[in-house]
Amino acid sequence: MWNTSVSFNKGEYVFIQAPSGTGKTTLIHTLYGLRTDYEGEVKWNNKVLKTTDTETLAGMRATGISVIFQDMRLFPELTAWENIDIKRKLTNTVTEAQAHGWLDRLGLKDKKNSMGNTLSYGEQQRVAIVRALLQPFEWLLMDEPFSHLDHANANKAIELIAEVVKQQGAGMLLADLDENTYFPYTQTVKL
Amino acid sequence: MLKKLLMRTQHSSRLWAALAALCIGTTLLLLSVMIWWNFSELLYGKNQNDTLGSTFLVIGKRVTEHNMGVANATVFQQADIDSLRSAPQVQEVGVITSNHFPVYAMMGGNLPLATDLPLECVPDKFIDNMPEDWQWQPGNRSLPIIVSSQFLDIYNYVFAPSQGLPQLSETSVKMIALNLKVGEGDKAEMFSAHVVGFSDRIGSVLVPQSFIDYGNKVHGKPGVSEAPSQLIIKAKDPSDVKFGNYLKTHDYATNSQNLRWSKIRAIVQVVTSATGVLALLLMGIGTLVFILFIELTIARAQHSLTLLLQVGYGPRYLSKFMIMRFLPMVLGTVIVSMIITIVAQFVASGIVKDQGLVLPSLPGWPVWAALAVSTSILVLLVTKSISGAIKKH
Repeated sequence: MWNTSVSFNKGEYVFIQAPSGTGKTTLIHTLYGLRTDYEGEVKWNNKVLKTTDTETLAGMRATGISVIFQDMRLFPELTAWENIDIKRKLTNTVTEAQAHGWLDRLGLKDKKNSMGNTLSYGEQQRVAIVRALLQPFEWLLMDEPFSHLDHANANKAIELIAEVVKQQGAGMLLADLDENTYFPYTQTVKL
Repeated sequence: MLKKLLMRTQHSSRLWAALAALCIGTTLLLLSVMIWWNFSELLYGKNQNDTLGSTFLVIGKRVTEHNMGVANATVFQQADIDSLRSAPQVQEVGVITSNHFPVYAMMGGNLPLATDLPLECVPDKFIDNMPEDWQWQPGNRSLPIIVSSQFLDIYNYVFAPSQGLPQLSETSVKMIALNLKVGEGDKAEMFSAHVVGFSDRIGSVLVPQSFIDYGNKVHGKPGVSEAPSQLIIKAKDPSDVKFGNYLKTHDYATNSQNLRWSKIRAIVQVVTSATGVLALLLMGIGTLVFILFIELTIARAQHSLTLLLQVGYGPRYLSKFMIMRFLPMVLGTVIVSMIITIVAQFVASGIVKDQGLVLPSLPGWPVWAALAVSTSILVLLVTKSISGAIKKH
């Protein structure tokens, strides 16, 4: 995919398969506008990402592109629920009850008041997944989103993600190590 | 939650120190402007503050060994007056006209005082404490006079005690009638003079201009020069060296006591300027520490800030959030300073009122202007530092 031109269309389910160290996270961060140290261009709806100002970028992140980071990136000083609520309040797309329901579905009912830095990786990953689904989005970017989850929890998460993505009519781009059938991909790209 | 993430250093002692410095700096700035403005108001304001007649000087040509006895050597010609009008610091020049007719004054009542009396008149605008009945027309037997406050002092503290006479208050002097014999021989006229006021500006006896004009015309000695030998001038700043030099080069004499207030004013100006500079320094330090505190707060919240931007919070939203937290602190200090200044002005106007001076009970426009400018600069600096620091992420 590097040094070529690739485009993804609205509603596509894209799987980026790549072994460790070949640039999955770099790709996700680049697409999300966190990195600018590259040659070439990344465009969202024909808007060049590199020259987009931070204000517009924040707007895109709040209402257009959502992400599940590989390293979760929760606020360690906030509880699990506060981590959810701080994102939920930004757009109020999802009600408080709905957000609670999603946490419950992913088995975090008893962890809502635990501080971010006391949660296990698996719990953090599930909170990060719910957080990514609380906003309106056209694309959901996922960087090894189930790497810390057992099969049962991964399946619950996959089910929730599939449901919300479908509901929003959005596309997804999932980067992972091995081939999988988590979602009905429309395009697979190998790095 | 944003507060929890971003405002982790709110109750630091450094913050309180910065706010205290800001508050003291702003207060000092406002007070120095207030003092400066009050003093200008006392000297040049619309209100009559007659005891501050420092800027009114009576000048005459110095009498020396060379010019004494020389006719008309110490009178002012029109050219002298014109030159004086354009002299440094001079705002107005008035002619002091004196009597060229004999006046003999006799005290009424039991006071055995009788003397030749020199009379003078000045344009009305040079009279401090203008009395209501300051007018005379030919035919009037009653004559209002204004005497120098120094006369009463000399009588009360020097003459009366030594002669075993009663001391007199201003009010009692106003009640005494003074018989004036004007002119000589058959043409002599008698007038009943009464003191209607006291002046700090002029060291003689003043009568209305119409009386001097009448007396000089009817009883005046022929051949006496009409040119004035004394002038009264209103000087903006008599302590100005250029003004002093002008008087010196032209060999004009004035009462150096009159410069007393000017010297005090010069001192006040130095003190207010020094306070102003100190105030600006304090404000500068206060602002600097406050801004450093803001930047420290933002630096401590760097991780949260980065993450907030990553989950979709906009820099403008976050800046606004921080500004709304810090600005009330700044405005709080400004309000405290404002209240102190208003109270100080109120107290100052009360104090000077006891001394017969008039000052407004609320601070004047320069104080509000200083407040507006300093607050705007402060708000601008705080806003800019917050948006600048957040933009760096």
